[in-house]
Amino acid sequence: MTVATEISEKLLALPEASAVSLRLRTEQYFDAVQGMLDLFASKKDLDVIYITTTIPAQSIINALEVLEISMDRIWFVDCISQIMMSSAKRHPHVIAVESPTMLENIMLKVEYLMRKNPSRKDLVVLDSINSLAIHNNTKILSEFLHILVNNLRARGAYTVIFSMQEYESDDIRNMLVLVSDETTEIEE
Amino acid sequence: MPSKDRDAGGERERCITGIEGIDHILNGGIPRGNTVLVAGSVGTGKTSICIEFLVHGALEGENSLYLSVTEPTAKLLKNVIPFDFFDDRLTKQGRLRFVDLPHLYEKLGIDKAEFTFDEVKLLVDTIAGLVDEHEVRRFVLDSITSVNYRLKDPELIRDFLLRLETILSSKGCTSLLVSEMGSMGEALPRGGVEEAIADGVIVTGNLERRGDLLRTLQVVKMRGTSHSRAKYVLDLTTGGVLLVPLLKGGSVAGGA
Repeated sequence: MTVATEISEKLLALPEASAVSLRLRTEQYFDAVQGMLDLFASKKDLDVIYITTTIPAQSIINALEVLEISMDRIWFVDCISQIMMSSAKRHPHVIAVESPTMLENIMLKVEYLMRKNPSRKDLVVLDSINSLAIHNNTKILSEFLHILVNNLRARGAYTVIFSMQEYESDDIRNMLVLVSDETTEIEE
Repeated sequence: MPSKDRDAGGERERCITGIEGIDHILNGGIPRGNTVLVAGSVGTGKTSICIEFLVHGALEGENSLYLSVTEPTAKLLKNVIPFDFFDDRLTKQGRLRFVDLPHLYEKLGIDKAEFTFDEVKLLVDTIAGLVDEHEVRRFVLDSITSVNYRLKDPELIRDFLLRLETILSSKGCTSLLVSEMGSMGEALPRGGVEEAIADGVIVTGNLERRGDLLRTLQVVKMRGTSHSRAKYVLDLTTGGVLLVPLLKGGSVAGGA
């Protein structure tokens, strides 16, 4: 079984509105993205709101193009391009947040996108907790995750939080245990 | 004692603003007939909140009136957020009206730097006449501060506000009065009386946190309902004004 299939299978086995911590190794990253966006979201007929705090949305969009994954139902909340002073052309499915420290604005953009397309259920991906932890202290980050995840759960949305195993600290692990219904690791 | 504007449970009838976050903070909306001060510094969303309040009212069939003092309506509408839910027919049908106060001053022959007691009375009566004529249920004056600059005597400011509040409230009209504050949220000269007289005070502001500037909103006072007094972060979007709780995280200096 490929990484992408394994992730999709694991997510499909979970009840609706689950919050999942996905512990990944760096080399599994793009397979994980494919498993979630292409296989899982398509099977469950979900819209995807992808919060990227690690690499610019455009880089992920380029990878999705290579993987031939349609962007029609994927929206990005990009928290990193603005802070990089990137002059890249903005994709119509990308909303920028000025900085990954503006956690409230991340919640507001997610809320905006959910309202914009209210007819379908959502999968909200947070990529990643490790990069958010670079910019925010543990207290405010825990508070952010607690409010975000509970809000999404109440609205029937799936939440998947990426955590790169190589960069995990005890604080991050404890935080994820607190807010997630399940922690998933990929075997391969 | 039961009152005519209270329901069977003793709750006052609400004017649902249509801004979900604010209605949530106020446990269902502004008590109908309240006069609410929306106070804040520039760029904090006061005008957007007010216009959204009127648009939702008009969409629900309540006639709504925006009295603009600081900028001509044409310029205001050009710069206002293009709400997804805005419908041009609201203005064409007269459900949503925009009036420039300086035009009223001219019409009344009071286009001058300083008003007398009689002129204040004339102005309030004229506003009341507009509210009656168009059966207005939601009213916005943007801004009360600009009117106050023509009232040199603090007694006149008090008189103007009291008269306006009494008349609007007696007509069951729920009103938002915009009040300008300094960039750090301090009251401007001649300010201060409004907070005491108004039924409610909503403060918008800018919160600087580690170099980020967040727009905030806080309901400080609202007669006729229990409400949250916490600070929220707001975003002005084409889907309307959105609010989320301000994260504390032990990182906000001075409890700001």
